Amino acid sequence: MNEHRRQILEMLSAGKITADEAERLIAALEKDAPAASSGNGSSTPAARAKYLRVLVDSENGDNPYHRPVKVNIRVPMQLLRAGVRLAGLIPPQAREHVNEALRERGIPFDLSQIRPDNLEELVDQLNELTIDVDVNNSHAYGNEKVKVRVFCE
Amino acid sequence: MIPLVGVISVRRRPRSRSFRLWIPLFLLWLVLLPFALLAIPALFLVCLISGVNPFEAIATLGNILVALKDTHIEIDNRNALVLVRIL
Repeated sequence: MNEHRRQILEMLSAGKITADEAERLIAALEKDAPAASSGNGSSTPAARAKYLRVLVDSENGDNPYHRPVKVNIRVPMQLLRAGVRLAGLIPPQAREHVNEALRERGIPFDLSQIRPDNLEELVDQLNELTIDVDVNNSHAYGNEKVKVRVFCE
Repeated sequence: MIPLVGVISVRRRPRSRSFRLWIPLFLLWLVLLPFALLAIPALFLVCLISGVNPFEAIATLGNILVALKDTHIEIDNRNALVLVRIL
């Protein structure tokens, strides 16, 4: 848990997240901590998620002609595993180009770190993933609210 | 097991007329099989040139094909409700 907290603080110091977002993430960690410690926890393996769900809900209350847009995507986790494995097949020359392009976009990620032995661990960590994004956009057509939710089930 | 059926459903608005298309993917796989057999030597060649294990590449492509099963994409907007499912 301390490691997660340290990661959040590092992201805050790097300017990747705002203080508000950091506070919310730490609060979420603290909320999850008692549940993890009171439950069976490490003795029994958690149920493995089968799907990654992406829900997008956009509505514009001020505009009577605007109908809400809803997107509901369910991707099997197996497909993510296969996709990550595919990333491991990228030739070394092309991998350097991809790493460089990622670095240019502010994502310091090394594709060579994706190996079959840590693949399962990587995908298993997604089981606990939940991302909630609420956006309020004000523009000429009114006030648009967008909610994005990404989670595993 | 590879996906056998795909479903595309479209409901247009505001008339609310809809159509649902069931695509028998198993027939598509049967049609594509000879082409896949022809493409395998080319794939081996490309893999050997680029330094990728061809057997691993084929296994990964097979895994992706199998993993497509149970994919569900639903988009509901002002003009239409579109649903794509792979079964």
